[in-house]
Amino acid sequence: MRKFFTFFFKYNTYLLFVIYCGIAFLFMRLQNEATLTKLRTNGLEFSSFINEKLMNLTWLFNLSNENDRLMRVNTELLTRLLHVETSAIDERNRTKILNDSTFNASGFIMARVVDRKFSDRDNMLLINAGWKNGIKKDMTVLVPEGLVGRVIAVSEHYAKVMPVINTDFKVSVVSDSSNCMGLLSWSGGKEFIAQVEHIPISSHLKLNERIVTSDFSTFSIRGIPVGKVVRIIPDKLFYTVDVWLAVDFSSLSQVLVAPLKIEPEKVQITSDSTLNEQFF
Amino acid sequence: MTTKLSLSIVLLCIISLVQEFGLSRLTLFNVSPDAITIFIAFLAVKFGQKTSTSFGFMGGILTGILSGNMGLIMLARTVEGFIAGYFHVPEDSHATAKQKQRRFFSAVVIAGFCANTVIAAGFNPQGLSPVYRIVVLGLLESLFTVILAVILNWFFLKKSLAD
Repeated sequence: MRKFFTFFFKYNTYLLFVIYCGIAFLFMRLQNEATLTKLRTNGLEFSSFINEKLMNLTWLFNLSNENDRLMRVNTELLTRLLHVETSAIDERNRTKILNDSTFNASGFIMARVVDRKFSDRDNMLLINAGWKNGIKKDMTVLVPEGLVGRVIAVSEHYAKVMPVINTDFKVSVVSDSSNCMGLLSWSGGKEFIAQVEHIPISSHLKLNERIVTSDFSTFSIRGIPVGKVVRIIPDKLFYTVDVWLAVDFSSLSQVLVAPLKIEPEKVQITSDSTLNEQFF
Repeated sequence: MTTKLSLSIVLLCIISLVQEFGLSRLTLFNVSPDAITIFIAFLAVKFGQKTSTSFGFMGGILTGILSGNMGLIMLARTVEGFIAGYFHVPEDSHATAKQKQRRFFSAVVIAGFCANTVIAAGFNPQGLSPVYRIVVLGLLESLFTVILAVILNWFFLKKSLAD
């Protein structure tokens, strides 16, 4: 017995180690026992609880980053949404023009209004078709509802359009039932009212008559609707006629560009005075 | 002595919780520093092998309960405490503070590596090769632990070790 105690005190550290290791092995061996499983489950539950709380805390600290991330996602989604919506609107406008049964759009060049300068005196449009798309100066720009204007400058991918509601714009027009001819221009102010000049007081122009482009125009093909007569004021020799324009310039997005009216002989004969003798 | 032991037990509980819920998240290459190893090495250097073995065993129970792998972690921590005990510096020794610190860091590295080897031998959830798990990750963990030990030594343990 004394020997045992001497041995125990001499090697107690090793014995302690062996005992601890033995207990550890016992735990490993009996780890599937009900009591140990319960202990382990409770430990894991506690650990999970604390971890969850810590995660919530970390999440709270990272809220700013999370907000930034969500903002980035939102921006990306908004960009996509805008792209899709814009494409849908463009497609809808294009289909609307192409499906207009009263108007044959084949042979016309389709373009989108990409910029506009509107004021009460001077208006200008920019369309996204240039000489690469076949656009030339003096081409007529229109929509199924009516005349928009004429091309006055062309670059590779863009063209500048002088609309009807520009003080420098003039076009020869004719009324469709009484056949009264005149010159349509816009004198500023309301963007939906233009004036027709040079209609003699003897003519039989009536209210609500439709005004269309005439064959006298140097750039426009004939018969393009321009508007309808809303006011006739008699003057000494001519009427002053107000026309409600057919095109709503405030919502203009898609336009058509008509092929250039090529009448060189007409231009030549009107400009060359020496030819007069040959006619007579 | 009783006060020191009680304080050590409370500290062990706190360190176990900090290790399990805090330091185990500071992973680099799937490895995190081990504060319990540092504490056991400190106890080994200060109080001897019996104390470090017992505290290793207790630390094993605590972390084992929390991690759900009791037996193996108890064994690893016991081995850790036992190995660290070999670096004990008796109170009556004339070792300088530098020598004590050197023994403390050696205890951290070697005991930590042994504990990691025991765990790697018995538990390999990621299916890594044992050699990689023991040598590469074991050494890496020892390195991280010793870095943490250097930091803790600089701020807290230096004075206690020198006493």
